[in-house]
Amino acid sequence: MQVEVRLFAALREGRFGTQRLELAVPCPVRDLLQLLSICEGEVFLCLVNGQHSKLDRKLADGDVVSLFPAVGGG
Amino acid sequence: MSLERYNRQVLFSAIGEAGQQRICRATAVVAGCGALGTASANALARAGVGHLRIVDRDFVEESNLQRQVLFDEHDCRENLPKAIAAERNLRAINSAIAITGIVTDINPANAEELVKGADVVVDGTDNFETRFLLNDACVKHGIPWVYGGAVGSTGLMMTIIPGQTPCLRCLFETAPPPGMTPTCETAGILGALPGVVGNWQAAEALKICAGRRDAISAKLLSVDLWSGEVQQLNLARARENAACPCCKRRNFEFLEGQSASTTTALCGRNAVQINPRTGATLDLQQLAGRVRATAGISGVTVNRFLLKFSAPGGDSGLEVTVFPDGRAIIKGTSKVADARTAYAKYVGA
Repeated sequence: MQVEVRLFAALREGRFGTQRLELAVPCPVRDLLQLLSICEGEVFLCLVNGQHSKLDRKLADGDVVSLFPAVGGG
Repeated sequence: MSLERYNRQVLFSAIGEAGQQRICRATAVVAGCGALGTASANALARAGVGHLRIVDRDFVEESNLQRQVLFDEHDCRENLPKAIAAERNLRAINSAIAITGIVTDINPANAEELVKGADVVVDGTDNFETRFLLNDACVKHGIPWVYGGAVGSTGLMMTIIPGQTPCLRCLFETAPPPGMTPTCETAGILGALPGVVGNWQAAEALKICAGRRDAISAKLLSVDLWSGEVQQLNLARARENAACPCCKRRNFEFLEGQSASTTTALCGRNAVQINPRTGATLDLQQLAGRVRATAGISGVTVNRFLLKFSAPGGDSGLEVTVFPDGRAIIKGTSKVADARTAYAKYVGA
């Protein structure tokens, strides 16, 4: 199965903007983070198909995962 | 009232004369007047927003001038509070509007009073705890507000119209734990970035003031000024399944102080203690690494139990001690606002 991962702001540094990933089995978002070496604490907002999702949400084929860090400066 | 000075904005058909008249009668609150706040306050004052309330707890420092467009070296030498410097400088730009600078720390006790009667609130704060507090106050009273954040070369922006678009807590259920958020002090910031984000926020606020809420959409905007990428994320569906504690269940935890940190001046010690929300576990070594790379910081020492460093601020410098649970003691000041400023800058919350 394939999912599309979109990284925003500082999460892109040293990684990518948008990438399609092949997953052998449906797995939770948390496993995807591990695969991408993203620490859970870095992710402030996770949207799956535009909907707010927890990191234990299981991904399905074709899902679009958007990950944001906290952008707090002002 | 003559609209002559706003002629170029009246000619812009989406605003027109009717929109400008509404703008001239509107009240906007700029909450926090740093880089984002100076950019948005500048735009709102020039646009003729009738009543501008500018709230900030901090003083103008030389390192602000790189990006905080309303301040100059003179304000810095005078050690002026930002809210007062902004009021004075904006008055020289537009004497036809009412501007009130308020020097205070936005907290659960005053947040509702500060946003009272506003048509829109523009976020210029530097930490998520205050943003969640503003979100509570604005959702409770049905006041639209515009979130903005900027660090490094990336910025985020989102307009919240209570009951119409997702609120901040629909997206971010809890504030990030202390120490996990890069701040402008630890990660730096491209000087031109807050001008882009702050003006973007101001444009959203002007739509609301002009009575054009129809032009606002439920989107999270992301801009990277270095790579030149702008992305929009449609949030129209974000709220459906999110049982939001704030706008759905109307549980205003930050306003009621349940989720807020507590700050206590330590009597007779010229020090302030900050207790964050429960559940924080700080990686002191990691934080020490970030703090070491920060301008103006000296004497960084770290062990398993605490991180200690000297930072500018107060009458003759601050000594900041941070514990793994996120608690901090800030020596060298008895002012809660100074301590919260230092905490937001160097620990980040």
